[in-house]
Amino acid sequence: MQLEKGRLSIACVCMVLGFMLVIQFKSTEDIRASQPSQRVEELAARLHQAEAENKELEAEIRDLRGMSGDAKSEKITDDIMMISGMTPLEGPGVIITIDDSAKKAKMENDPNLYLVHDEDILKVVNELRAAGAEALSINGQRLTANSEIRCAGPTISVNNVRSAPPFEIRAIGDKDNLVNSINMRGGVADSLKVWGINLTIQPLDNVWIPAYKATTKYKLATTSSKEEETK
Amino acid sequence: MIYAVVGLLIGGALGFLVPFGIPAGYSSLFSVALMACMDSVFGGIKAACSGTFDDKIFISGFFTNSLMAAFLVYVGDRLGIDLYYVALLAFGLRIFNNLGFIRQHLLKKH
Repeated sequence: MQLEKGRLSIACVCMVLGFMLVIQFKSTEDIRASQPSQRVEELAARLHQAEAENKELEAEIRDLRGMSGDAKSEKITDDIMMISGMTPLEGPGVIITIDDSAKKAKMENDPNLYLVHDEDILKVVNELRAAGAEALSINGQRLTANSEIRCAGPTISVNNVRSAPPFEIRAIGDKDNLVNSINMRGGVADSLKVWGINLTIQPLDNVWIPAYKATTKYKLATTSSKEEETK
Repeated sequence: MIYAVVGLLIGGALGFLVPFGIPAGYSSLFSVALMACMDSVFGGIKAACSGTFDDKIFISGFFTNSLMAAFLVYVGDRLGIDLYYVALLAFGLRIFNNLGFIRQHLLKKH
C-alpha cells in the first residue's frame, strides 16, 4: 500500500498538526477564561464601594438620630451654609495659577490660541470637581451652584465679577487627587502646555476659600411640595 | 496509520508542555494556518486511498499551504480585505469534500 512509503513524513506532519491543534485549543481556553475573571474583579470593586458608601450613610443616620432637635437643625444649617458657599472654608487643597502664553504667536496660528479662555478655566474646574474638590474659587470669587464662568471680552466673568489673567483657582480637596487630575497625561495641563499657557499647580496643607459675597435672591422660583413632576 | 496517531499524540503532548499560547492579534492567522494543515492531511489521506500518494508533494503541500494561507490572510488584513473568511470557507469546503471521498472509498472497500 502506498501509505507505508510515507510513514515517517506522515508522522512528522501529524506531529506538527497535533502541536498546532493543542496550541490553538489552549489559546481559545485562555481567551474564554480571562473575560469572566475581569468581570468578577469589576463587580468585587463595585461591591466594596457600595459597602463603604453604605457604612458612611449608616454612620450619618446614627449621628443624626443621636442629636437633639436643636443640634440636628444646627448641623443641617452648617451643611447648607457650606454647600451654598455662605461661609469661608479652609482645608488641604491646591492653588492653580493660569496665565496667558509667554510664547510669541506664530504667523500661521490664531493668536487666540495663546490666551486663556473661559473654556480653559471651565475645563480645569470641571476636572477638579470630578477629582472630588469640595469648594472652589476663581480670583476670589467663590463658585456656587449658580456661578457662571463666562467670556467677557478680554476678561472672564465669574459671579458677574470680571477679572483678567492671571487666574488663580483655589480648591479644597484631596491634594494628590487634585494634582493628578490636572497633570494626567493628555489632560488639561498637557493640552494647554502646547500653546505655552502657564499653568502652575501648588499643593498646600491649608487653602482658604472666601465666602460667596453677593446675595442670592429667588425672584421667580418658588419651592414646590410635589416630589415628582405631574402632567 | 499507527505512525499518524503516534505523531498526533507526541505533537499534542509537546503543545501542552510548551508554556506559551498564541497572542490574540495573531490568532486569526494561526487558525487559518491550522485549517490549511488539516486540509493537507485530509488531502493526503484521500491521495493514499486513491493510490496516488507522494510524500514529497504531501509534505511540501502541508507547509507551503499553511504558510501561504497565513501570509495571504496577513496581507489581506493590511489591505483591509477580509481574506480570513474566504480562506476558512475554501479550506472548509475542501476538507468536507475530501472527507466525503474517503468515506465512499472506505465503504466500497469493505
